[in-house]
Amino acid sequence: MGLLGNLASSGALSQILVGLSRTTILFIVSSGLTLILGVLRIPNIAHGSLYMVGAFVACTVFQSLGGGMPAFWAALAVAPLAVAALGFVLERGFFSYLYDREHLMLLLLTFSFALILGDLVKIVWGAEYRSVTVPGFFQGSAEVFGLPLPYYNLFLLLIGPVIAVFLWLVINRTRMGKIARAAAVDSEMVSAVGINVGWVFAFTFVLGCFLAGLGGALIAPMVNISLGMDHSLIMEAFLIVIMGGLGNIWGALLGSLIFGHTQSLGILAWPQFGIIFPYLAVVVVLLFRPKGLLRSTW
Amino acid sequence: MKAMASFLAAVVLVSCVAFSGFAGDTIKVGLVDTYTGPATTFTNDVLDGFKLATERINAKGGVLGKKIEHVTRDDKFKPDIGLTMAKELILKENVDILMGTINSATALAVSDLCRKEKVPFLVTFSKSDKITGEKGHRYVFSLNENTEMAGRAAAMVLSKKPYVKYWIAGDDYEYGHAIANGVFDHLKQLNPKVQLLGQSWWKVGETDFTPYITQILAAKPDFVIVATGGAGMVNFQKAAQSTGFNKRVPFYQHTAIELSTLMPQGPNAPEGVYGTANYLFYYPDTKENQAFVDEFRKAYNRYPKSGALYGYMAAQFIAKSYEKAGKIDREKFIDAMEGMALDSPVGKLEMRACDHQLLLPVFFGVTKKSPQYEFLVAGDVVSVPPKEFMPGCDEIRKARAK
Repeated sequence: MGLLGNLASSGALSQILVGLSRTTILFIVSSGLTLILGVLRIPNIAHGSLYMVGAFVACTVFQSLGGGMPAFWAALAVAPLAVAALGFVLERGFFSYLYDREHLMLLLLTFSFALILGDLVKIVWGAEYRSVTVPGFFQGSAEVFGLPLPYYNLFLLLIGPVIAVFLWLVINRTRMGKIARAAAVDSEMVSAVGINVGWVFAFTFVLGCFLAGLGGALIAPMVNISLGMDHSLIMEAFLIVIMGGLGNIWGALLGSLIFGHTQSLGILAWPQFGIIFPYLAVVVVLLFRPKGLLRSTW
Repeated sequence: MKAMASFLAAVVLVSCVAFSGFAGDTIKVGLVDTYTGPATTFTNDVLDGFKLATERINAKGGVLGKKIEHVTRDDKFKPDIGLTMAKELILKENVDILMGTINSATALAVSDLCRKEKVPFLVTFSKSDKITGEKGHRYVFSLNENTEMAGRAAAMVLSKKPYVKYWIAGDDYEYGHAIANGVFDHLKQLNPKVQLLGQSWWKVGETDFTPYITQILAAKPDFVIVATGGAGMVNFQKAAQSTGFNKRVPFYQHTAIELSTLMPQGPNAPEGVYGTANYLFYYPDTKENQAFVDEFRKAYNRYPKSGALYGYMAAQFIAKSYEKAGKIDREKFIDAMEGMALDSPVGKLEMRACDHQLLLPVFFGVTKKSPQYEFLVAGDVVSVPPKEFMPGCDEIRKARAK
């Protein structure tokens, strides 16, 4: 009891739980980013914008179905699928034509889509803030170690491992996943054995976009859904991906865990400058492991 | 002969261009503001309030027989773009007056330009107290409250409450720090017993406040000053609602009671949050305010927010000052505007002569559910009159002399 009691009274245990729930969103978004980066070699700057679109779609679905639990699940299902569909259009309509060009071209294209999607969101949804509230079931908070932990954060704690297992299954247990992994290492070889790499790329891109949309839908009830919500997230997601090792999904998981926890525990240690801890972690990791913690696929 | 003809043509052309700025029979107002991105939730209200007032003025024949027209430029929330746009409006569009911006850095840069170019600049949302404080000058006016005014007004009300141990938390940028210091420093002066237990600062755009909230609760303060701005207002309130933060410790946020913060959250915003605002469409419950709300709703089908008041009053001050000046002259316009007092939806408002700061009341209230609206409103509203909290003219002169 001694050590545990001390930790609990200082709020550390509660901060660890909060950090874990934060990890969930970071992992979902950055795993999609790293997937696309690893297989397609696209540093997709528009990933954050897709996450924003996911949040707006979730908001619209949730509100048009009148709120409540069924609307919440519907929003959670529709938003990622809608963003995945958008991803499919982007990949087939634009990116697929540029794979044999320089990476810089792809980077510019993703950047221009970040701007275009931002303006599209403004045209479709307007500039006003939007907000959805979690259905009654998730409202309020549980008392954990004497401090409140919102039920919704608990829900995120459950969702995180589910997504991780889902991704593991897709990548390791499906044919498509195996081909995608092979394509990440050597796409020429994969096409040489008669596999249509174009469709592997499309599949990976769509899966990555699905994850961005899911992240947006999951964060929607916690925040203000607004233009600009993509900016800070895309930077954090890139840092996580770099820290974990480019293209490595488990690196994204590890990076998200580090990012989420250095923040929540950093706040406890030094609230005034809590924001610097995750970035400090990035610096430390890159000092000792310049290629990231886990093996990069690049 | 041919050379002569083209020379004459050139002369005609040049003189047309040169005189177009003077010979116009309109008063041209240039608005530089952020018309893309999240800030538009505030700036569109300024523009719409301004349009509403100018349309009414123009329908009655304008000012000195001239109609007020306006041109807008989007500064994309970037000071360098804003400054370029302002230059373009002054030099190419020949505007008589400039208005804007929501970004304080842009406002200060444009203000400096206007001082050099001797063009009146009416600030309509920037909350930096430097604009009419230490960086103030003859050509700049502010039509909104600033961090110093809000801080002093909030401190006056809070100093009468029994809380001792305070915690400060906020968005880590100039506005956040300015508002937090504005409240706490004056609170400390008014009530020396208060103490600062600690502070937390998060990055602008932070989405997950839960780790900050649990940490603050673990420290057990009596009262928390939350210095968030823009999107952070709603984000923090949502986190407060889901963690029950507002039920465990009382907290204050400037603009917590404003429509821009409460309406997006619908009926699920946290109750009991203390806040200050320049404008509430339901308070004061006067004929003037009701008439303004009705007019605005009829035109735009939404409730007016603070920005609408600023834009609406900017147009009124422009019209009345020109009328008083008797001609379209920038210097005479400024002389006329100094000390002018006009009726507004929130009562009589005076443009203080010594610092060109509009003397606005600050409403202090606490969020509560309303049977009438589908969102929370401010209850127990106290109107703090500007005379009680404004820094004196001596203080302003001292700050400017530095």
